[in-house]
Amino acid sequence: MTGALKYEWVRIRTIASTYWLSGIAILLNAVVCFIIALSVTASNVDDLDVGQVTTWTWTAGASAPITPVLAGVFFAVMGVMAMGHEYRYGTNKATLSAIPDRIAVLAAKVVMLSLWVVGVVAVSLLLDLGITWLFLDGPDFEAAAWRPIVNYFGYCLGFALAGFGLAAILRSQVGALVAVLVWPLVLEPIAYGILNFIGESTNAGVGKLANLLPASAGRRAMFDPYDIFAGFGALDTWGIAASVVVFWAAVLGLVLAGSALFIKRDA
Amino acid sequence: MALIQARGLSKTFKGKAAVRGLAFDVVPGSVTGFLGPNGAGKSTTMRLMLGLDNGEGVTTYDGVAYRDLKQPMRHVGSVLDAKPFHPTRKAVNHLRMLAASNAISQTRVTDVINIVGLGDVANAKPKTFSLGMGQRLGIATALLGDPGTLILDEPANGLDPQGVHWLRNMLKTLAQQGRSIFVSSHLLSEMALMADHLVVVGRGSLIASGKMSDFISTSHRNAVVIRVDQTELMVRELRARQAAVVTEPDGQLAITGMGSDAVGALAHELGVRVFALSNREATLEEAFLDATGASEEFRASMGFGAEQPAFGRPGQSASGQPGFGQGPGYGQGQPPQGYGQPPQGYGQPPQGYGQPPQGYGQPPDQGSSEPADQQQRDQR
Repeated sequence: MTGALKYEWVRIRTIASTYWLSGIAILLNAVVCFIIALSVTASNVDDLDVGQVTTWTWTAGASAPITPVLAGVFFAVMGVMAMGHEYRYGTNKATLSAIPDRIAVLAAKVVMLSLWVVGVVAVSLLLDLGITWLFLDGPDFEAAAWRPIVNYFGYCLGFALAGFGLAAILRSQVGALVAVLVWPLVLEPIAYGILNFIGESTNAGVGKLANLLPASAGRRAMFDPYDIFAGFGALDTWGIAASVVVFWAAVLGLVLAGSALFIKRDA
Repeated sequence: MALIQARGLSKTFKGKAAVRGLAFDVVPGSVTGFLGPNGAGKSTTMRLMLGLDNGEGVTTYDGVAYRDLKQPMRHVGSVLDAKPFHPTRKAVNHLRMLAASNAISQTRVTDVINIVGLGDVANAKPKTFSLGMGQRLGIATALLGDPGTLILDEPANGLDPQGVHWLRNMLKTLAQQGRSIFVSSHLLSEMALMADHLVVVGRGSLIASGKMSDFISTSHRNAVVIRVDQTELMVRELRARQAAVVTEPDGQLAITGMGSDAVGALAHELGVRVFALSNREATLEEAFLDATGASEEFRASMGFGAEQPAFGRPGQSASGQPGFGQGPGYGQGQPPQGYGQPPQGYGQPPQGYGQPPQGYGQPPDQGSSEPADQQQRDQR
């Protein structure tokens, strides 16, 4: 296992895409954080909740439903590449010749990818903390909510691992990239809309199935307040814990399925 | 310096057997060539040997299966693909990555990249590498752990003549140091110079395994060649002694089933004047084509026999027939639809093939419409 970890540590650090994906994620977050800070400061709206605004700015918009979490996309791509490169460039044979223990290979990839993503998110949030402190008029970090911050780590990590799992399942870098981007950005919003419509118009029980949409559940776990959509539409939203479980169940499902196939298949 | 023992290697793809119960040994101190036609199962066998594919059977390296080797790169070095690396990861980083997994020092990384002649491009991205440079980087990967065993799949592909020469010398040197080298190649002439032992497969099954000299000696293209003044008498007497005789276009007799001493003694006994008497040894290519002629996965269905050039050595064929290799000389079976009828027998070569190269002699009896087996019967 030590050898596999060392291998993966060198692998993730010796490829340019690791740096430009991480850099873009940090930069985009900083830009969004900066724009939010300036916009809120310029708006001069007195009835805003200071804690919510501070959290919203600090998380580069992740705690509010109106701002997309762009960083998640780049971490998903990083996850796809962690496994997709093995198939795209045929390095899986060299990897498995060096480390025949496939479980060790998988575990090392998951560990190193997770550590890298968590590290980059931490750097990004530290930078955003500084931007919020410098450019947001009257931030109150004591009033800021920690739940969106913690779930922001989880959301980014979950997307990276989902990309990893999809690449292992599909053995296609392009296919995994398309799947990990199209599902949350296109298919889930459509499914969410349809289920919500059915819930409102005909069957409330069917509408509740929208709670099972994993990307939406992961996104919802970062909202501050969590029940920001209460009173809108027919969706009877499940609690925070249930949303987190739905998101991580989907992520772990993809990782486990990909891992099982990686172990079972020919190299 | 490991003895490789493969036993019962089998692999099936969607119900079709790719490898069927292969069993062979690769002994230390030798280069063992792995030969077989396209689709014979060579690459699959090598993947099975390294535990990369799921299949049946077991391969051990001094009694230990690959997956049980601790730091396997220190025991077995392998190259299975021509360019198995990320195009933008520097060559030296590719090696560092693999070295890290098996606790191999950075010094060794520098050493092997110089050994394979890529020292000047160690910090270059492999996307700029030629196929030959990629092969060299692959070989560097195999050498990283200074292993006692090397398993190389077509390592000479893409190498220039100097590169092939370097590879051959390196592998022979490594074998002389007591290592086991198992290498597949389509370059039979190169294999003839490099290998001491052979494992030959066809359609996933073992055809031959052992010393190269023994393999070549089994070819019925080995013959005693004699030129005499009384050809008809000599032919009659040889056939009376159960020898197979083919009269070649220049009047020489190619004899199988009798040694040169016996042929010479017979000529002396008959009072026949002998102008030339020699042993003709089959080449590795000829022996290989003899052995695998029925084992090709893919055959050309148009033009001359797939295993022979347009004008092969006259008077010889895999089946002992005069003519051009196996069968009637124009591929196997029926031509595909839309290609029309093949030319009859051994008529004129099709337009566009030009004259046969110098030194190949005259094609037999141009214009003859007799099938090859008829010609053979007549000559006997």
